[in-house]
Amino acid sequence: MEEAFIKIENVSYMYEENDGFAKIDRYAVKNVSLEIKEGEFVAVLGHNGSGKSTLAKLINMIYTPTSGKIYIKGRDITDENMSDEDIMGLRKTVGMVFQNPDNQLVATIVEDDVAFGPENLGIPSEEIRKRVDDALADVGMTKYANHEPHRLSGGQKQRIAIAGIIAMLPECIIFDESTAMLDPVGRKEVMESIIKLNREKNITVLMITHYMEEAALADRVVVIDDGRIISDGKPIEVFKKEKELRDCGLSVPQCTELVHCLSENGFDIKGECVDVVSCANMIFEALNL
Amino acid sequence: MKNIAFGQYYPARSPLHRLDPRVKIILTILYIVCSFLCKNVWSFALLAISSIMLIILGRVPFKIILGGLRPVLIVLIFTSIINVFWTKGEILLLEWRFIHIYLEGIFSAIFIIVRISSLIIGTGMLLTYTTTPIALTDALEDVLSPLKKVKVPVHDFAMMMTIALRFIPTLVEETDKIMTAQKARGADFSNGNIIDRVKALIPIIIPLFVSAFSRAGDLATAMECRCYQGGEGRTRLHVRHMRFKDFIPLVLIVVFGTGLVLLNIFAPGFTMS
Amino acid sequence: MSRIELIDIEYYHGKDTPYEIHALKNINIAIPEGQITGIIGHTGSGKSTLVQLFNGILKSHSGKVMIDSEDIWQKPKQIKRFRYKVGLVMQYPEYQLFEDTVYKDIAYGPKNMGLSEEEIDNRVREAAAFAGLDAELLERSPFDLSGGQKRRAAIAGIIAMRPDVLVLDEPAAGLDPRGRDSIFNNIREYQKTLNTTVIIVSHSMEDMARLCDSLIVMHDGEIAMTGSCDEVFSKADELVKMGLDIPQITKVMQLLSEKGIDVPKGIYTVEQAVEFLKSLRKSKKEALQ
Repeated sequence: MEEAFIKIENVSYMYEENDGFAKIDRYAVKNVSLEIKEGEFVAVLGHNGSGKSTLAKLINMIYTPTSGKIYIKGRDITDENMSDEDIMGLRKTVGMVFQNPDNQLVATIVEDDVAFGPENLGIPSEEIRKRVDDALADVGMTKYANHEPHRLSGGQKQRIAIAGIIAMLPECIIFDESTAMLDPVGRKEVMESIIKLNREKNITVLMITHYMEEAALADRVVVIDDGRIISDGKPIEVFKKEKELRDCGLSVPQCTELVHCLSENGFDIKGECVDVVSCANMIFEALNL
Repeated sequence: MKNIAFGQYYPARSPLHRLDPRVKIILTILYIVCSFLCKNVWSFALLAISSIMLIILGRVPFKIILGGLRPVLIVLIFTSIINVFWTKGEILLLEWRFIHIYLEGIFSAIFIIVRISSLIIGTGMLLTYTTTPIALTDALEDVLSPLKKVKVPVHDFAMMMTIALRFIPTLVEETDKIMTAQKARGADFSNGNIIDRVKALIPIIIPLFVSAFSRAGDLATAMECRCYQGGEGRTRLHVRHMRFKDFIPLVLIVVFGTGLVLLNIFAPGFTMS
Repeated sequence: MSRIELIDIEYYHGKDTPYEIHALKNINIAIPEGQITGIIGHTGSGKSTLVQLFNGILKSHSGKVMIDSEDIWQKPKQIKRFRYKVGLVMQYPEYQLFEDTVYKDIAYGPKNMGLSEEEIDNRVREAAAFAGLDAELLERSPFDLSGGQKRRAAIAGIIAMRPDVLVLDEPAAGLDPRGRDSIFNNIREYQKTLNTTVIIVSHSMEDMARLCDSLIVMHDGEIAMTGSCDEVFSKADELVKMGLDIPQITKVMQLLSEKGIDVPKGIYTVEQAVEFLKSLRKSKKEALQ
């Protein structure tokens, strides 16, 4: 069997919470095990405070697990004796795009920002030039190379942030609720970029989100509630358990809900759907008496 | 609010805008030195002409230059008055009770005005009007890089400047939003006495600080994730190579300075006392 | 009768600068009283600018804003009166929190109104309840609250002024499905209990469809459509043309009508769709027999 790209083994993470009276230790992530294969597109779904963002930060070594092991390409990243170079190498391999587009751009000119990562890695300037141009083309922002980031829309800023990560030539990108602060247009732009990177560049994608419609686009959905994985599978399989999802503060896409309601009302609908086209097809067939 | 202009940069296409910013920094320093070389009427005349030429070369409208001089207007007027009334000389122009005005006094007043305006116009035209703040920061890092040898954290200062420039518009926009939100709750920033007004600022300053700190935290994490480890081992996207034509202005300013000195020595005329 | 009426409004951003933008063009609307009105439009359509005219945060360059048939700019010195009458909750209002306890923060507005201690206390507690904020949180620092609780505290800060009209700009932005549903339920409860006028700005069609009695659609600084949800969603094609996202159910219905099924316009919720499909199946069965 091929080795997992990211392997999480019984990982827990505890933090101190002040509930107004006393400090209490709480588990943000509790005994989680998860394997992600190379080239996979995995959505991690959970409500706010479910521990999904903590999981992302553990993989990128922003947090260190309280217990358990995390391996990236077979390398134990929880090893305390790792050299700075190893850490840099891993950060370059697994890039991360955050939630707030304003708080991750460093430079005052778009192309300078995209160049920031490669500059840190000490890449020669001709090579940086090429990478910056390629990365901007990948997210469709070539036109804006010389713009100032603060004049761009949220979706555009977020695509610049993605370009800044791609320019480091990562093998995996973690998106930590990268669409949460965007309007529908911006969300669509960013989702298109993510899908393109996964399909065309075979970049492994781990996308943390609470939008069902976005999770439905992934190859695999992992649902986290209260720091634990409660469901893991293809979107269709996961969204089948509508009640369980609702119990942990999530919902399902409207069309999944419609199909469920119809089959409860005696319609002859067997399968599951997560997108409008297959939903319409299924209804159409069920109506053909 | 998104379009606030910070710094004095005036976008235009001109030879001064195109000049390598590192050369411009050195030119500015030399120009300041030159302005202090002037001693007599002829060298000051040359200085004034050079300032006007810089304005023309940089294609910045006179109106903007005058605007830039406005803040020092009071200083200019004050020093000229002192010079006119207190300079003693040989050629007496006017005598009335205790007031004695000499021709030398008039000239020293003019000299002071020319020197201060040239200083302001020179740095403005060579640096602030024609160079974007970010290019200026990068160039400063380059020019000061010899100091790295004596452990001056030049790169860190440059990085701080860059981040400040990047976040000024964001924070201005945020201040605007917070002010609007508090106004909607009945805050009043324009009425009342000083104490009331300072008090009215608290609901703006606290949220602004809270947000700036959380932004700083986020940014630090994001920079770390992009492998930032300080200036060590960093390369640059834009590497500026000095070309032959970048040296021409440096030669010109040396010629200019020499010219001033020669005029001081060989051209007779009113000398600054 | 309507509380807020806008007559011939024109508004420019950065008037008389090179960056001048004609943000609102010829706006004539009346907001119906005692209802929830939704304002939808994509980013930059002018919807956020529009709501800032309602309480005199912005002043239009021409035209009149009437509240209870009174021109709000008649006496500019008294503009604060209208800020208390029309309570505005801004987008991501968490950043307006500044006091050391939640209680004091909610009391900021009422205090500015010059109310008595007792009255303020009543209002703070009532507002916290309406916003769904536990009373025990009132003595905590607002900065210790979770994201969703901060949002509620900020909303309570406006409700505590007991405005005749409550305006909320994207109240659910960035919240997960549970948070979104619960905030909307609180808003609906509030509106029903006090029978006040509520205006909600959003670009989420699905949320607006569930919540609003009538809609105003903005496009390029102009009013593109007004009417009930049924009326507006029946013009789904036009909405799509304006770059707006229509509810998934409406999309499914569009696809079904392309397949030759006679679908009535204006179906936008799962319940409506199930009802319609059930009756369609019934009539088909009858036709077969």
